[in-house]
Amino acid sequence: MTEVAYYPGCSLHASSELYDVQCKMVFSNLGIELKEIDDWNCCGATAAAKTDDFLAIALPARNLGIADATGLSEIVIPCSSCYSRTLVSQKRLLCDNELKDKINAELSRKVEARVKVSSILDLLMPKLLSGELTAKTQRKLAGLKVACYYGCLLTRFPCDINVNDNVENPQTMEKICEELGAEPVDWGFKTDCCGASASVNDAEQSLLLMSYILKDAVSRGADCIVTTCPLCQMNLDAHQKRVCEKYGINKELPVYFITELIGVTMGFDPIEMQLDRHFVDALSLLREKGLV
Amino acid sequence: MPTKKAQYNISEADLFMNEVEQRSGQNLSACYQCRRCAAGCPVGMQTRVTPDRLVRMIMLGSRDEALNNLLVWKCVACYTCGTRCPNNIQTARITETLKQMAKEAGIDPLIHRTADFNSAFMQAAGHLGRFNELEGMAIYETKSMLKDIKKGDLKSIITEIKDQAQLGLVMAEKKRLHLKFDRVKNLSEIKTMYKKAKSSKKEDMQ
Repeated sequence: MTEVAYYPGCSLHASSELYDVQCKMVFSNLGIELKEIDDWNCCGATAAAKTDDFLAIALPARNLGIADATGLSEIVIPCSSCYSRTLVSQKRLLCDNELKDKINAELSRKVEARVKVSSILDLLMPKLLSGELTAKTQRKLAGLKVACYYGCLLTRFPCDINVNDNVENPQTMEKICEELGAEPVDWGFKTDCCGASASVNDAEQSLLLMSYILKDAVSRGADCIVTTCPLCQMNLDAHQKRVCEKYGINKELPVYFITELIGVTMGFDPIEMQLDRHFVDALSLLREKGLV
Repeated sequence: MPTKKAQYNISEADLFMNEVEQRSGQNLSACYQCRRCAAGCPVGMQTRVTPDRLVRMIMLGSRDEALNNLLVWKCVACYTCGTRCPNNIQTARITETLKQMAKEAGIDPLIHRTADFNSAFMQAAGHLGRFNELEGMAIYETKSMLKDIKKGDLKSIITEIKDQAQLGLVMAEKKRLHLKFDRVKNLSEIKTMYKKAKSSKKEDMQ
């Protein structure tokens, strides 16, 4: 087992707890033990950058310091928002010693920001290339058409950060899904915004943005959407009924975490993966296709 | 009566632009109005003020308009504008900065819910060190409803209660409501960071 530091973030300890469970199941089967860093704090998400430039860097910095202290070389962050904010903080700390010292003056575990910050796709890709993902596949997702949805924060950053994929037309999730036997559809809204927290404070705007995404996915013949971000998943799943009613979309699409599709191919029990906690029924489609 | 024309005051305009540039870290004077940002902006159709226009407003020193327009409060921070900008200007960083400047200037936001949500989120995250969804939502609803009451906007309150109650019920049904409170053990470190943030803001404003 390889050990990788793990930052679940607040949503994986709350409304998207199922994603936390699935990440641990899937990676453990791939020989990676996710070691949750202790006493982590909220990264400040997108709200910090909109209210306080110091906290936007300092909050993720504390987590980076805790990660540095573990001695592990890599930390994986499944939530796109946490991943983005942590990377932005790291980038800033590496080029602003004054700010780093100011933050370190208050930290018991000093931040050096040396740990490699990875998304869940960064962790999965080497397992795909090495053939280990395929080796764990017990059944293929035959006949499942998926719309791979990246959202904003996996490929776009407010500062200069290197992205291991095509920024306008990323392909990592497609490659993974193809390997699992699914058929990714070619579509136009894979990196468009779902509205993120606007679903709370500017709901009409967010519903409109989600309608573009859902309409395109449906018109391209997708059976479902697959994503890695808990907020995208929650938005497109929990508000889908409302969006469909308002914008006349007549097909409902389950919104899967990528860990759920991988888990199905690994032969995991869907209830153990908590697939019954979706808003749009996530089990019927898999049963229809004879996948569970 | 001739309409009053906006006065273009070069030194005031420079002062304002420099402040926004410095705080957002964006070299907005590099903007040559190609409007690639506008074409990619997911809220541009609703806000009318697109990123290029916001940049122009700042350059012209239209402080009041720049601090309180629909783009500032509806920007979803998707970072599409900045990713596509040929001059590497991240306008979403500018809207983030303008929100902060609007708050410092005591401006009543055009969409108060956006400001309420961000401040409620930070308050909840600072209280226990982790964001607890129920706590955050309770603070947010209290803040925003008090404003609606002050404005006599009963319709918004009723819509909000209806929508949130519906969502809450489905979330409870799907066991997605988390009732336990998560907290950081070494909370004093978080509290110190929040204090430091406050004091550094005061320094900047002096």
